[in-house]
Amino acid sequence: MTLQKKTIQRYRQLFPNDTLREVSTRTGIQITRVFRLFHGKNMKVGELEAFETVITNKIAENPSFSRLSCAVESASSLLTNDELKKIADYVERRISHKNFARGYISTTQSNLSIA
Amino acid sequence: MRGLSSLERIIVECIGKESLNYNQIQFQTGLQENVCFNILQALIVRGILSTDGVNYKLSQNISALVLEEINCLSSRQAESLELIEALIDQKDERVFKFQKIALDDRDEKIFKAMLQNLETFLVDCHKKAQGTVPVKSRKVIFWGMGEVNQLMHQMVKGIDL
Repeated sequence: MTLQKKTIQRYRQLFPNDTLREVSTRTGIQITRVFRLFHGKNMKVGELEAFETVITNKIAENPSFSRLSCAVESASSLLTNDELKKIADYVERRISHKNFARGYISTTQSNLSIA
Repeated sequence: MRGLSSLERIIVECIGKESLNYNQIQFQTGLQENVCFNILQALIVRGILSTDGVNYKLSQNISALVLEEINCLSSRQAESLELIEALIDQKDERVFKFQKIALDDRDEKIFKAMLQNLETFLVDCHKKAQGTVPVKSRKVIFWGMGEVNQLMHQMVKGIDL
């Protein structure tokens, strides 16, 4: 998956109900341009940065996330591969439960949109 | 994620060797409509279930690799942990007891014998009621015993899979 697709998917996970107008307001990108980007038009670096900034700001609202990031950083240098695998499995399972509860499923092979 | 999540496992267990339609699966598992539907779709995508559009059944040709993924020890451990964690987090009617008990050798033997009796009792209960009690109403029961010293040592040493 390209960086652009990943960024848009991430944005959609954080703001699942945003209208095009709301996306435009948050990112400062024109509404017609947002429509094109969501339909696969290539992003400019500035537009990617605008999306990334909105995503980063949203994540920063959750104080536990920075704890998690620090813990993951320490874990990557201290824990064994098997221990890291167990943690990764745990996090992936939590995510899969969330995905089941939402309107779509992300699989490793492909992205399947169901509802 | 390797293996099945405990939600997926419930659906696989519920279908078993039968061929069930969506309503039967939803009734048996008690899962919310969209959750049940999403899990069924995910299992179909992974090739674990097949459907003729109405009924769902276990796929006849699940690859050996997927079977190994589903049944490997680490996957089953992770599934057990999910259910245990959910039970610990449960707010209402929670039955959970966790204690460090001083047991001498004699009492330990008695305790192990009682556990064996308990297991036999539960196996009989299951045989008797599995045809009438839907999967959603079954009880999650687990037990275990370990020596504090050994467990602490293992925690310091780290996981050795």
